[in-house]
Amino acid sequence: MKCLTLLLVGAGLMRFASADALAGDIKVIANSSVKADVITAVELKRVFLEQNNSLGDGTHVEPVLEKDGPVHEAFLQEFLGRTDDDLQTYYRALVFTGRGSMPKELDSDAEVVAYVAKTRGALGYVSTATSVEGVKILAIVPAGNAAHRTLITRVEPEYPETLKYLNIGGTVRLQVTISAKGNVEKVEVLGGNPILAESAISAVKQWVYTAGHSRITVEESILFGSHP
Amino acid sequence: MWRRTVVVVFVCLGAGQVLSNAQEFKLFDRTVQVHGFVSQGFVYTNDNNWLTMDTSQGSAAFTDFGLNVSAPVTDKLRVGAQVYDRNLGQLGQYHPSLDWAVVDYRFKSWFGVRGGKVKTTLGLYTDTQDEDFLRVFALLPQSVYPTDLREATIAHLGGDIYGRLSLKRHLGEFLYTAYAGHRSDSIYSGYPYYFSSFGAHITSYGGLQYGADLRWNTPLKGLLIGASRMNEDITGKGSAINAFNPGAGLVPYSEASKADWINQFYGEYTVGRLRIDSEYRRYWRNQELFSGTSESFADVRGWYVSGAYRICKRLQIGSYYSRYTVTNVVAGALSAFYPPATDTSLPADHDYDKVITGRVDLNKFWNVKIEGHFMNGYGSGPYPNGFYTQVNPQGFKTDTNALVVRTSVYF
Repeated sequence: MKCLTLLLVGAGLMRFASADALAGDIKVIANSSVKADVITAVELKRVFLEQNNSLGDGTHVEPVLEKDGPVHEAFLQEFLGRTDDDLQTYYRALVFTGRGSMPKELDSDAEVVAYVAKTRGALGYVSTATSVEGVKILAIVPAGNAAHRTLITRVEPEYPETLKYLNIGGTVRLQVTISAKGNVEKVEVLGGNPILAESAISAVKQWVYTAGHSRITVEESILFGSHP
Repeated sequence: MWRRTVVVVFVCLGAGQVLSNAQEFKLFDRTVQVHGFVSQGFVYTNDNNWLTMDTSQGSAAFTDFGLNVSAPVTDKLRVGAQVYDRNLGQLGQYHPSLDWAVVDYRFKSWFGVRGGKVKTTLGLYTDTQDEDFLRVFALLPQSVYPTDLREATIAHLGGDIYGRLSLKRHLGEFLYTAYAGHRSDSIYSGYPYYFSSFGAHITSYGGLQYGADLRWNTPLKGLLIGASRMNEDITGKGSAINAFNPGAGLVPYSEASKADWINQFYGEYTVGRLRIDSEYRRYWRNQELFSGTSESFADVRGWYVSGAYRICKRLQIGSYYSRYTVTNVVAGALSAFYPPATDTSLPADHDYDKVITGRVDLNKFWNVKIEGHFMNGYGSGPYPNGFYTQVNPQGFKTDTNALVVRTSVYF
């Protein structure tokens, strides 16, 4: 009996450890038609519960799920707070009252990547080990982080030809003040090569974030070249 | 009827299993989805016959099925429709109906409109009451969701506005729905059947319905509370035996609402594998009968508390206590035939139901439920609630125990 108890406890611990590891090993992927580079946990939940079919920037999105498996279970647990059975019941209630559709469900990470790559607005999740060629990865921002603003329009800075030729690069650190409407109001250099910083400032001034309740200041880092 | 039921069930079960893997296709570059369900029940009662079935002998006249097609037309516009059919004892009798047919345009998450024949939002389960596979119980609490009277609240021909409003400072979100439309009961539904016990033959029953629902997803994770209101203006027409001169044959009959409303309050709490629901519904009804020569005042109150727990992926259990009371006073010419019924302690004016249930999911698309009902009272008084005199000609006993077995396939 003792052995059985130990075995069960061990199995339980392994299950929890495994689920924890997987929750951090998920990446959210999107079709290239999706403009955003990041998505909040709240947005993710609303999209997968069919409460929203567009993101803050107006891009149409549609959820794509895996049928089962550890990645699927971890995603549901981490971001939707539901079991697969509860989620199926939820979708069926939508379907049988005319208020929604069954989302696409696929068998594997590879199928999800392939479907997301070819379907406008598709949004899915796969394990971090999966090759994600042809789709973009969205960074996930935890729910409840009120200070965070989602970057919805990003303009890449120009890498001055001379510095590039001389292989002079590095990271420029900026302090960015964002208005309540989401526009960049002010950019200050915190560190980095002054010439690269000028280029970075000029690009960052064109960035647009999601709107918020008030003006905030965030720190952004921009890498020129391949070495920090 | 038995043979017909068995054939329908097996055809639908087979179709359900086959279709479970083939439920969408492309049309004009849009994905069209097809979904359906079929459900078959068996009910056995120790005494009174229940829900218009011959349950004291054991009855399987408890079949229903639905089939829907829906598709997004644009990113914001979707269309769909569902056909529903059922046979519940003397009700339905396999006459299909258009359950819903909706054009839905969602401008923003906080504002959308839908029109057509729309499922009515009233409390937690009015719009999904036919789909038993969405919950643990084989029968919803009959005090609030009387399955014999489903058509009274199930849908309206009209329109809704709806939306979802996020609240600041992590205060959760509000979901609202407001609607107006026309209700039209089938002549095979509960009210016409009830009236037939008085020798009345109803040819049309329905009218205006309008109301609203507001629910709050509270900051406490898993807790939802809400309230619904419905107003109605219902007219019934047909013919009936003249109570004062029964030998004179049928005379034209009509009834009309003077006041008709429902207030419903509800809460739902989900934590882990446990789900707890509770609802209270009050239905007030003041009608003119026989072209205004008489008037009735009915006050129907029902509430329940239910709990359901998932033991493992395939097995869930649940229990609820459901309490229903009704009072009725008739004024005018008919008052001589219907003395006031205001004592809800009498079994004719209440139905208290204790229920236990087990649900087994055989696979992702098929479940079986076994449910026990232990009822006190039959609430047959002036307003139907599952117990009808036509199928209980010998009179009613105070207590009824019922065994319900129900299986559903869906895709």
